[in-house]
Amino acid sequence: MSTTSDVTLKSPIFPTWCPGCGDYGIWGAIKKALVECNIPEEQLVVVFGVGCSGNMADFLRCYGFHALHGRALPNAEAIKLANHGLKVVVIAGDGDTYGEGMGHFIAACRGNHDITLIVHDNQVYGLTTGQAAPTTPKGRETKSTPTGQIEVPVNPIALAVTTGASFVARGFAGNIPYTTELIKKGIAHKGFALVDVFQPCVTFNHENTHVWYNERVYQLDPANYDATKRDQAWTKSWEIEKLPLGVFYEDVTQHAYHEDVPLLAKGPLTTQFPSTVSLAENFKEYQ
Amino acid sequence: MASLNWKIGGKAGEGIAVTSFLMSKICQRAGLQVFEYSEYPSLIRGGHTSGQVKAGDAVSCQQKHVDLIVVMNEDTVRLHLDEFDEHTKLLVDTQDDKIDFTKYPSIKPEQLVAVPMVQISREQTGKSLASNMVALAVTCYLFGLDHSVLQQVISDFFKKKGQTVIDENVKAADAGLKFSQENLQIPNSKFQNPTASKTLFWTGAEAIGFGALSAGVQYYSAYPMTPTSNLMHFMAAAQAKFPVVVKHAEDEISAINGALGASFSGVRSMTGTAGGGFALMVEGVSLAGVTELPLVAVVGGRPGPATGLPTWTSQTDLQYVIHAGHGEFPKVVFTPGNLEESFKITHLAFLLAEKYHTQCYIISDKLLLESRMTVDASVIPTEFTNTRLSMAQDPLPEDNSFRRFIDTPEGYSPRSVPGQAHGLQLTNSYEHDEYGYATEDALMTKKMVEKRMRKLDGIIKEVPAPIVVGPAEAEITFVCWGSTRLVLEEVLRQVNQNGATRANFIHIMTAMPFHKDVFAALAGKAKKLVMVEENIGRQGELLIREQTGITFEHRINRYDGRPFYAEDIVKELENL
Repeated sequence: MSTTSDVTLKSPIFPTWCPGCGDYGIWGAIKKALVECNIPEEQLVVVFGVGCSGNMADFLRCYGFHALHGRALPNAEAIKLANHGLKVVVIAGDGDTYGEGMGHFIAACRGNHDITLIVHDNQVYGLTTGQAAPTTPKGRETKSTPTGQIEVPVNPIALAVTTGASFVARGFAGNIPYTTELIKKGIAHKGFALVDVFQPCVTFNHENTHVWYNERVYQLDPANYDATKRDQAWTKSWEIEKLPLGVFYEDVTQHAYHEDVPLLAKGPLTTQFPSTVSLAENFKEYQ
Repeated sequence: MASLNWKIGGKAGEGIAVTSFLMSKICQRAGLQVFEYSEYPSLIRGGHTSGQVKAGDAVSCQQKHVDLIVVMNEDTVRLHLDEFDEHTKLLVDTQDDKIDFTKYPSIKPEQLVAVPMVQISREQTGKSLASNMVALAVTCYLFGLDHSVLQQVISDFFKKKGQTVIDENVKAADAGLKFSQENLQIPNSKFQNPTASKTLFWTGAEAIGFGALSAGVQYYSAYPMTPTSNLMHFMAAAQAKFPVVVKHAEDEISAINGALGASFSGVRSMTGTAGGGFALMVEGVSLAGVTELPLVAVVGGRPGPATGLPTWTSQTDLQYVIHAGHGEFPKVVFTPGNLEESFKITHLAFLLAEKYHTQCYIISDKLLLESRMTVDASVIPTEFTNTRLSMAQDPLPEDNSFRRFIDTPEGYSPRSVPGQAHGLQLTNSYEHDEYGYATEDALMTKKMVEKRMRKLDGIIKEVPAPIVVGPAEAEITFVCWGSTRLVLEEVLRQVNQNGATRANFIHIMTAMPFHKDVFAALAGKAKKLVMVEENIGRQGELLIREQTGITFEHRINRYDGRPFYAEDIVKELENL
């Protein structure tokens, strides 16, 4: 048994992301957070979506599940329900989570499943070479929207706050220590935690660059901002001139999904394997 | 062979299903074999609904010709007219003047049994609700079934509602008996010496559900869809008594991905749906293939395309399930034909899924999943010991040399699950190496594709082969898969009377992998092969042809949402 550390997390494969990609920063923050959370390596499961972000599956040694595009959350929820002793983290992209998997995202928020979702939010499809993402601003020209994106972008923070997520935060790939702290809080939080992370895509998004973000982001000051107020979090999430980072919303009073499944009070499902089954009593009502 | 065929028809919401269920229980308790078949529209109230109970010494399916029908509305006469002959009795309410029988000249006045059912109910209970109990009492009287059995069934059924409700319903039933004794002809009981073998009265869904519980299912995720919603309800209720968690997922995509997630954690998991929901699952089918996660899935047949006929039956999804999923990977597809097979094959499906790290499908249909029928209790085991299969050794080497997807002669590789020390592994939707890391290497890809497909070599030895039902040799050999078995058993009873060897049938329980040699040997003995299946596309027939080269010259297909009736097939025999 080993506690998760830089050594245990080291995979034999080095990242294939573009030089300067925001994913390196998020990768660094995730590794640092996982190490600092002192999780035994076998008690950690990371589920990956499909995209540049999901490619981290090969760069992070752990019990991993590299899911289908958009479907990481349903896998993760069931992994947790089947063994709620595990820490379950999901690493996915904005297209993955807010596009293909939008229905699952809302369901996960509503269920308040005790998992931590880290979304690489770069406002573009990277791995498929530069189409519009659900978070792409209206009007932006991309490979799939040559005359400009017609739809308005998803507001992930507002959506999560509205649909029942009990921890909602936003980080920035350019600030690893700060994002690390947000991820650690998300993992420590009991219930569904969204950490949406702004991530510059140096190859396919020339608008939302490192410099662009650095000019706009600021950190919410816990002294002046009460993260327990849902309506305030919602309002805050609509600021677009300056972009707030930090914990928008946190509700520690809600039960996580597995806590309301009566059977699981006896312990993780994996410890309740029925090695003997007797059906005789159950058959009586069918006689 | 003595039998009765009773029916009740009325508007959805009038207690048709309950009355039909109680009639079935009376027959079961009287020692008869029972098949209860219901027809209902895809709505909650108002449409025409019918419940039918065929009971007797040997019964396996519904029957067209009705002996006694409880008529609650005119539709019950109009829509079922072709099921009546001059011997059919129609139980009507004396005071119901809404039905003009002069419109139906084929029905003679002496066929009508008029009983003031509503009036008796009102006199005894103050309400009209118990009129169905009066109908049951008259039914029992006319068929010569013991009235005390009816009383017992009523008291068991209404137990949860309390003694007052039981007493009221028994009173109504007793008054129904009294009326019958005083006003109706004395019946001749056909059931003097029913075989008193102990039976279980299940739907196909309950057989599958118990089969799953017997094998230690611990996670069931699904989205409601007829005809597997009742399996979901069964599993949900089972949570109170078994260590199983049921998740009503947001859609079928989530349902199958949930089942795979739970499987990754190490619990035995299952999902269930119908054709339309399975369409959403298919992406996950492929995921199950490459990740080598155990999965059991039930696909209930109903007519498509698209929303189709939601509450009717079909066998139109065999080729679809067999071919579902992009890419190539092994799959097991079962087609159980009755309760015993549904129970035992579901149990087996869990063992094979876990042993071979593969996916097993159970194709059923509305007829089998939703109809209730008796099964001899002695063929259903009650006690089970479950052991884990193909798991990684414990403890694992501390040098972290464990390779989750190591190439093996048998194709499956010992599996670690989260929580196990030194078992770290990546379960990957991408093609991967032996550790699970993604690869695009040609040699590794070929090795992994072959490793997975090799599992079929072992699986074929463990799945049930086709069987012959009926005489070893016969003039006609039908071929069927799935629930058609139920109907063909009745066909054999009708055409093979007094030791005749007019027909037998080959029944296929495993569509994939296919027992080519066994089937070819059985078919080789046949004088005339006749394929019988509920589709227009000859799906089972084409599977047989693909697998064995055997072609058919004769076939009986039905694709109107209704099940086969033995009478129809017997008639078709004359044209073959």
